[in-house]
Amino acid sequence: MVTKSSRPDAVTALLGQIWDDALDPGYAAAAGQRSAVGSARRWHGRSVRVGTVAGLLLIGALFAVALAQTRASAPAVAKGLADLQSRIREQTAAYDATTAQVTALQAAVARIKGSELSSTRQGEALNRQLTALGLQAGQVAVSGPGVQVTMDDAAVPPPGTDPSVDRVLDRDLQSVVNGLWLAGAEAVAVNGQRLTALSAIRSAGDAILVDYRPLTRPYVVTAIADPATVAAAFSSGPAGQALRVLQHSYGIRFSIRTVQQLGLPAASAVQLRYARAKEVVP
Amino acid sequence: MIAVLGLLVGLVAGLVLHPTVPLWMQPYLPIAVVAALDAVFGAARATLDGVFDDRVFVTSFLANGLVAALIVFLGDQLGVGSQLSTGVVVVLSVRIFANAAAIRRQLFGA
Repeated sequence: MVTKSSRPDAVTALLGQIWDDALDPGYAAAAGQRSAVGSARRWHGRSVRVGTVAGLLLIGALFAVALAQTRASAPAVAKGLADLQSRIREQTAAYDATTAQVTALQAAVARIKGSELSSTRQGEALNRQLTALGLQAGQVAVSGPGVQVTMDDAAVPPPGTDPSVDRVLDRDLQSVVNGLWLAGAEAVAVNGQRLTALSAIRSAGDAILVDYRPLTRPYVVTAIADPATVAAAFSSGPAGQALRVLQHSYGIRFSIRTVQQLGLPAASAVQLRYARAKEVVP
Repeated sequence: MIAVLGLLVGLVAGLVLHPTVPLWMQPYLPIAVVAALDAVFGAARATLDGVFDDRVFVTSFLANGLVAALIVFLGDQLGVGSQLSTGVVVVLSVRIFANAAAIRRQLFGA
């Protein structure tokens, strides 16, 4: 059909045609036929027949089914989500309890080991060596001066940015940790979780995981290092610069604070299943 | 009056009998609902215009629903099902709005 006015382009012409043709042309055709035959009937007459009622019954039933379907599936989705959330909370609590148990048992083992070894002179030397090695491997809780870097998501996302990226990401945390190692850190912990040579910082969905343990914001990275130099070294290093870029571009908040006395917990025991020493150290 | 009654009886019957929709039919349910809405608005406008016709109403509803379902089915087979359902919904929605506007003009003269 020819549109009444000239349309600026084909798309509006098409939509205009749909608009103009909104009433099914069949109605007009049928009405024309009826008037031609001379038996024009108004709607109030016998024109409402079985077909209309049956069609409307069908349509009503269709609406009802669609309504029921939507109603039925909505709580199922919400319930699945709630179930998953409660399972996550349960598993996290179980993990925390087990971790606490491991830590307590490790302390007990260390105490017993210490008392056993200190009975002989040779044992005493061995104990000192063990402690020194444990310090390096993150198996011994440590304290000392250092620096604390706190990061958090943007409070107010900067205009024009995608709010989903105005958040601290796993790679930001990795960069901060690497920057602290570079600045001379001797022990690093993220939200009270000590990092070892085998630690991984990664993300799953929206959460950042350290050794499979999800973190909650704000992210506090503590590092034991020379308090006189570490803050400046970190701040002027690549990680400090990256943090300032994040703050400028994405509104990520951060603060660097030198602390005179920090305590870092021991990491949970590192289990080496496949690695074997090539030569036995005498 | 009898038309509105039919719609209500259908609604109640659907709610009471609560038939389960087979899984293969579920993608077509939204299309069917929009086609049905289009048919109802079209019928209401035709009634007000005084050109309502029983046969046209039933055939247009069934045919539009079938064609819409066919388009979506073909689209599903060819991997453009969701785009085509969007197209069907857009076209039918435009018709619904046009008919609603015509009904409004008829009833309120504005």
